[in-house]
Amino acid sequence: MIEKNLEGVSVRWVIALKGEAEEIIKNYAMKRVATTPFPVYKNKDFDMWLILSGIGQLNAVAATTYLYVKSDASYNTIWINFGIVGSRNFKVGELIQIDKITSSDFQDNYYPSPSAFKNNNIERCNLITVNKPEKLFENDGVYDMEAYGFFSFAKKIAPHELISVLKIISDIPGTDLSEIDKHSVEILVSKQIQLIEKVLKNLLSSQKIIFLQLKDPKYFDEICLQKKFTFSQKVTLRKYLTQWQARFPQRNPLEEIGQRMTASQILKKFSDNLMR
Amino acid sequence: MVDTIYAEDEIIDTKKAQEIISKFRHAKVTSIKRFGEIFNPSNQNFRIQKTNPALILAKKQKGFVLDAPKGFGIGDQNNYYFSHMYNCLYDCSYCFLQGMYNSANYLVFVNFHDYQSEIEKTIKKHKEKKMTFFTGYDCDSLAMEPITNFINDFVPFFSRYKKVLFEIRTKSINNTVFRTHDPLANCIVAYSLMPEALAQILDKKAPSVSARIKNMKYLANKGWRIGLRFDPLIYCSNWKAQYSELFANIFNEIKEENIHSISLGSLRFPKSFFNKLLQYYPNSEELSFLRSNDKGIISYDQSIENEMNEYCRSELMKYSDARKFFSCG
Ligand code: SF4
Repeated sequence: MIEKNLEGVSVRWVIALKGEAEEIIKNYAMKRVATTPFPVYKNKDFDMWLILSGIGQLNAVAATTYLYVKSDASYNTIWINFGIVGSRNFKVGELIQIDKITSSDFQDNYYPSPSAFKNNNIERCNLITVNKPEKLFENDGVYDMEAYGFFSFAKKIAPHELISVLKIISDIPGTDLSEIDKHSVEILVSKQIQLIEKVLKNLLSSQKIIFLQLKDPKYFDEICLQKKFTFSQKVTLRKYLTQWQARFPQRNPLEEIGQRMTASQILKKFSDNLMR
Repeated sequence: MVDTIYAEDEIIDTKKAQEIISKFRHAKVTSIKRFGEIFNPSNQNFRIQKTNPALILAKKQKGFVLDAPKGFGIGDQNNYYFSHMYNCLYDCSYCFLQGMYNSANYLVFVNFHDYQSEIEKTIKKHKEKKMTFFTGYDCDSLAMEPITNFINDFVPFFSRYKKVLFEIRTKSINNTVFRTHDPLANCIVAYSLMPEALAQILDKKAPSVSARIKNMKYLANKGWRIGLRFDPLIYCSNWKAQYSELFANIFNEIKEENIHSISLGSLRFPKSFFNKLLQYYPNSEELSFLRSNDKGIISYDQSIENEMNEYCRSELMKYSDARKFFSCG
């Protein structure tokens, strides 16, 4: 489980149907916060949201976009597309992490980053997103109807290392599709919840690294509150404060700033000190 | 080690690609159309990828031999470099690769023959000129030798062109390939070096400087020609004492006559690279001395650069002939 109020944690799930999402919603104690245009769920203690996209690529793109805006997701957010799939290569119930996404409609392929797969020993394979439920499974890999659409948008708003496509095998050649109901899907998911948590744990550790990279240096906010800095001055200030922290960890840069100093005088003062 | 391999459809069945793939029995191999699908997308995080890099096998389509940057060289009129690989096994904090590429995955171009025929063409075109070919600019070729066998392929190739110099820039202490081949008079094994204490902080995952010196001695005794590359020179509070000690240690072990050339280089980055580095290493004191100049280049203050260059040159002159000295960049 995720600790409460963990700094920097931010997770979004994009799942087609309620049956696929039910165990995730329960496991992470999410509550419904919107019904239209898509049902949206949220945890009250930390920044985790889930959207039910409905079936198909267009719905997946639309729901991912909607959730991105509605939940005010930052760049450093984990995005997971989860759901059931069919395949001729695996057994029903197996959890698969996707390492290549192709589409029956588009030329480009997508490759989720292997950093999410690190040391988790979960099966990996390619996925083909199709527009109609697949029955023949002519190619190796797994078939779904959303992942391509999901990934095409997620890769624009988040680092590749934080995007994951996770699927559970629900049907294989010969499966009677009418027997796959909400309840049977919930059972399949509940059996894999621990492995799903393992994948999330990997993603969270990558998120932590990025969080630290993006974090403003110490005193940055305080100094920006004191004086008006232009955008490019803020870039320089960020750089100087980072260097300051490394060079003079015991010296408080706020003490270098005189009351009447302008933004450029402050930057000059920092620069002069760092030259020595 | 590598647990994910991407291989371009066009080369996946070639002998070289298969030879490399066979070294990673447990890796998952995924076919791709072009390496750019994996290597080029933006929004990739270099530092995270560096914790578990994948291997990409591809075919280089063009740009096999490139002019070396101006000012780069060891005395010849024409200087070229060629890169059969992007990214490195090591993880030096100041490495420009982390500012240059979106991806930290190892990218290996397996069509070595195409490189060789382009090099051949270049040699024939400029046969009256003296020239050097550098490798190890976008990677450490020797460090990856157990995987690529690159040097094993290129040492016999350059043995056919005695007038052309071939420099292998490295920090690796892998010497297997130099034991397999007879020493080549036109091949320079050039070691990047800095004081041990700095290397411990900055040259992450690379062999210690003392191990590099030991290996240089071994290679020199076998008859290989050695290059000393103090590039980049790193500024810190007691740099003079540290560099003096380093030079003394090297020349204690290696005879001057085995040294082919010595070069000194400054630490320089384009501004955008440097901003990324600061994000990656906010606590690096070594990076805190760097400043941006009016041309958008990040470097030490000119006075620091000059002082370091002059001091190191004069110290090195205690051990070696000034004619062997060159500047990098
Ligand atoms: S050895 Fe060279 S190429 Fe490799 S990480 Fe260090 S600086 Fe970069």
